[in-house]
Amino acid sequence: MAASRRDKFTRGWWFILPGLILMAAIVGTPLFMGFRYSLHDVFLYSFHTQNFVGLENYRRAFADPLYVNSLRITAIFTIGCVIISVGMGILIAFLLNARQVKFRAMWMALFLIPFVMTPVVGGIAWRFFIWQQEVGVLNQVLTFFGGPAPYWLLDRETALWATIITNSWHLIPLATLVFYAALTTIPDELHEAGRVDGAGPFQSLWYIVLPMLRPHILFVSIIIITSAFREFDMIWALTGGGPGRSTTVLSIFAYNRGIANQDMGMANTIAFTMFIIMAVVAWLYITLYRKTLGDKA
Amino acid sequence: MISARMKKHGAIWIVHALLGLWLVFSLLPPVMLVAASLNRTALFRSPLDLLMFRDFTLENFSQAFTRGDFWFFFTNSVIISASAVVITLIVCVPLAYGLTKISGRAREAVSFGVLAMRFIPYVVLALPLFLIFVNLGLSGSRVGLLLAHLSIHIPFATWMLVGFFDTVPHELEEAGIVDGCSPWNLFWNVTLPVVRSGVVALAILVFIISWNEYLFALFLAGNDAQPLTVGITRFLGGAEAGAEYGIIAAYAVLVIAPVILFALTANRFIVSGMTAGAVKG
Repeated sequence: MAASRRDKFTRGWWFILPGLILMAAIVGTPLFMGFRYSLHDVFLYSFHTQNFVGLENYRRAFADPLYVNSLRITAIFTIGCVIISVGMGILIAFLLNARQVKFRAMWMALFLIPFVMTPVVGGIAWRFFIWQQEVGVLNQVLTFFGGPAPYWLLDRETALWATIITNSWHLIPLATLVFYAALTTIPDELHEAGRVDGAGPFQSLWYIVLPMLRPHILFVSIIIITSAFREFDMIWALTGGGPGRSTTVLSIFAYNRGIANQDMGMANTIAFTMFIIMAVVAWLYITLYRKTLGDKA
Repeated sequence: MISARMKKHGAIWIVHALLGLWLVFSLLPPVMLVAASLNRTALFRSPLDLLMFRDFTLENFSQAFTRGDFWFFFTNSVIISASAVVITLIVCVPLAYGLTKISGRAREAVSFGVLAMRFIPYVVLALPLFLIFVNLGLSGSRVGLLLAHLSIHIPFATWMLVGFFDTVPHELEEAGIVDGCSPWNLFWNVTLPVVRSGVVALAILVFIISWNEYLFALFLAGNDAQPLTVGITRFLGGAEAGAEYGIIAAYAVLVIAPVILFALTANRFIVSGMTAGAVKG
């Protein structure tokens, strides 16, 4: 018995160890070095002279209005993407799951295209063909109905919202997919019972579907938070962080500080604060998730 | 009775109209790209002009292939994405399998670590890697860029594969043990075939993520390892004036063609892969 238990123990670990060591090295090394750089003055033009400065970089970051501004923009961007993606995701999944809809797999396959489409290319396509002031589709439609034709991406007031909508376009398919998969597991009897009780489509969405989707909403939210919080590609292709600094999220801010300004100590500091924020979010998520599962059991 | 039937028909009509509207919204950007790539464009044109192919040409594509080092970027993209898939599978399939074979605390601790790594923003890894690679002489090399890709693939793939391996019933391996299978046989011949479609799904997703990746490439690719995503941004400076605009569109179509083909043909795998994590932490 003892021997077989030990067999079982070693059997698993022989499979695990090589990968685990590689993973620890490949993720752990940059993480550790990033933290180390954040405690030093590191400049690209002379990065061999690294002076230890303790938490000075962190103090400078929090005292910098540009950092605080960037933090605010990242928060708006992330929350905007989560709300739009989860809301639209549920709505599209609900429509797709309507009894009369045929060829659902085909609809879903086409809906997925924005998600797999290269974000840089997606950003370029939106910038040239949708948001473009003169010939962009949006302004063509608006002016057709006699509306105004704003410079969406060149105006500080609208640029952030344009990037949020573009990024949501990219993320909504993910939400739709997860919600749709969850909806197909809701037994028909439940809808039937709702109909017998005289529930219309909106009542059934609110009273039957939403409560059942609660764990999935949590799951989709966390995936979208993770993705939107670190987003770089899409915003870079759309606005490059401008106009002014109105779309400079933390990823872009760190890039500007580290590569453009050559201040790698500060760039790593900014990045490491992002890591800490995500660690807190992850911890919150895992706690909440256990609670949601606990409620159901 | 009649009014109930009419109501039902009305509902069908509304549902389909809304889905169709959503489809237009979803596909408008890629469709406009294709339209622009197939029109002769020196300046910006109205969307209707483009969609009606008023000035049809294939010239943009031949320009995209011959100008701007398309094949150089393409080779880098293919080599990096394909190697990322192969190495991720070699590393993560055994790792995830092993995780389902150990029990209790150890499994929980490792799984927690893997999940935690999925939350790391890419820029947190890209910035230190930039300096590390300069020190190691890996900056601007495909190997360096590949290592960076692996740092996001390995946690993602392990986490996803554990979900697939967990669905394999214990009885299967127990029967194998009774038949005297070696540990390797149990893994390779008994369990792995059961999760085959999950592994295919993962391979496709890893390829798509690598193919689409831009941030690491911008930081780490130097001049010699640049993939297509960096290649396309090279054109952008001239594009604001409308100069190279049809060529960029053709180039962009070539960049997204492989991933969109995947999305349409291997749809079943992508869907199963992406929903795999939805039921567990």
